[in-house]
Amino acid sequence: MEVWRINLQKQEFRKEPPREAWEHLGGRGLLARILLDEVDPSCEPLGHGNKLIFAPGLLVGHMLSSCDRISVGGKSPLTGGIKESNAGGRTGLHMTKLGIKALILEGKPEPESWWVLHLSTQGARFEPAGELVRKGVYESARLLLERYGDKVAIALIGPGGEMRLSSAGIQNLDKDRVPARINARGGMGAVMGSKGLKAIVIDDGGGEKPPIVNLPAFRAAQKEFNKALMEHPQTRIYADYGTAAMPRMSNGFGGLPTRNFSQGQFEEVEKISGEHMRQLLLNRGGESETTHACMAGCTIRCSNVFGGEDGKAIVSPLEYETIGLLGSNLGISSLDTIARMNWEINDLGLDTIEVGAALGVAAEAGWMDFGDGERAMELLQEIRRGSPLGRVLGNGAAITGRVFGVERVPVVKGQAMSAYEPRAIKGTGVTYATSPQGADHTAGLTIRAKIDHLDPKGQVALSRSVQINIAGYDTLGACIFAGFGFAASPLTIRDLLNARYDWNVGNDILQALGRETIELEREFNRRAGFTSTHDRLPEYMRREMLPPHNAVFDVPDEELDGIFDW
Amino acid sequence: MKLTVHLHTILQKETPEGLQNRIEVNIPAGSTLGDLLASLEISQHPDSILLAVNGRVADVSQILHPGDQVNLMPAISGG
Repeated sequence: MEVWRINLQKQEFRKEPPREAWEHLGGRGLLARILLDEVDPSCEPLGHGNKLIFAPGLLVGHMLSSCDRISVGGKSPLTGGIKESNAGGRTGLHMTKLGIKALILEGKPEPESWWVLHLSTQGARFEPAGELVRKGVYESARLLLERYGDKVAIALIGPGGEMRLSSAGIQNLDKDRVPARINARGGMGAVMGSKGLKAIVIDDGGGEKPPIVNLPAFRAAQKEFNKALMEHPQTRIYADYGTAAMPRMSNGFGGLPTRNFSQGQFEEVEKISGEHMRQLLLNRGGESETTHACMAGCTIRCSNVFGGEDGKAIVSPLEYETIGLLGSNLGISSLDTIARMNWEINDLGLDTIEVGAALGVAAEAGWMDFGDGERAMELLQEIRRGSPLGRVLGNGAAITGRVFGVERVPVVKGQAMSAYEPRAIKGTGVTYATSPQGADHTAGLTIRAKIDHLDPKGQVALSRSVQINIAGYDTLGACIFAGFGFAASPLTIRDLLNARYDWNVGNDILQALGRETIELEREFNRRAGFTSTHDRLPEYMRREMLPPHNAVFDVPDEELDGIFDW
Repeated sequence: MKLTVHLHTILQKETPEGLQNRIEVNIPAGSTLGDLLASLEISQHPDSILLAVNGRVADVSQILHPGDQVNLMPAISGG
């Protein structure tokens, strides 16, 4: 496996062996190592010095269930710190078939110009983006598939990334070639836009799967992992309901963000519940699917296709965080409206969490009434037009709050919280506060833990443990839901890595990778100017009581500051 | 005593009126959460269900009180 390095200014390409310190890392951990080694933490995220890096995880390339994810990272225009955002789809798998351990994109074209980067066994070539510029993600993906055939993987940006909006993501084709597996968080789409890249096309034709040193041992561990995953009761629930099972659960704990994070329960939660959605989709039929895989070979199949009344697909997938941020957080209880907004935000190439939070803040500032889906759609059109208002919203909740003078802005390190209210789910609040990634739904959720979520005691230890494991999974390229299988057969991680690479790692390799990753990320942030004052929830969440439990976030600062003293 | 039980995902049952997502139950005073689960004939092992009473995580030994809001949630998380 090699590092492919591409200079966008000179349009130069070269392959090089990974540095020794990079060999044992992949995905999120490798991104952190490369960024620390090569990027000045004081750089301008949209400038010449920042790099955009794609890194498949250590276990990617073998269609191991739920383990073919792609991590994308750089310095974030949203947080000003390190960022890793990972996604399913085809990109990771195709990159490994070309032998890519990491793709490093550096420099930017001057004057501004737009390009498609084509990767294949022949190397890299640049082609003018031409007609794709300013087109939405869905139309762009269709044109790219026409141009390059439907066997390729594609990572692309939408108009939001072209405008360098801080909520812009990078969208990857799923196994059915729908461009909605998104490296959504932290503005990596804006970084890609700053480099003049509309799309990366990966043609793995003629490529080979990464080598496995000890194939029998790998297959044995794979079998054990698959069995554990398939037998886990969670797997069936995910297949039937997906992440949309969460609204009622969060609501039950008083932790469902409602009306710009001002309440923890939504009176119309049943209408946005996964249980209701499943019935709706079964009744509507047509293109609707209650279960769907985002990656080839995934046995969990937590995704879905949301069809309208006519059975025609509105969007795929419709997930919990989107339902929370565009639904209860905006007081909107129609899944059809939420699905249409989801499609629109996907087409713009933006993060539904960040945009949903920004709209919540905008509603508090008077730009829309809570519950007014039509007005919310109009505000999304402002983003598409690139109007000043649209650009404010597209730059996320923190900027929106600053521009309109709103105090209640649910962000940490400039990034919006996901659909777990940290005053009611305090372990997740600890994660939001302390993760080097900012308030991130993929950094360590705690709602499944059997702990009193309202009690500040024990939350730091819980969050620490989950954050370490998740950073480990992100380095492996494993979906967090693969964690059910790995948790039930923990030694399979050791066995898979040893068989794949001829290593001799120990039983605690997941945690070792997780701790190393977080240490690297914290070091990057420290050099970028972050201190313990950045590891705090917004002041109002520490002061204002959240109904129905009248909870405030009261985990002591000194405990937060000691979370990574291991 | 009467209390309300909120059923989640696979614990919801189809009825002619639609999915049954909430039931009102009447159980003897002094009953525990474990007693409630037994009376509802829930086949899942309690360890695989996240149990909450009035919004707080609870275990099977917890004694219930009139008017309690009980949530039975096959654990799931993510988005």
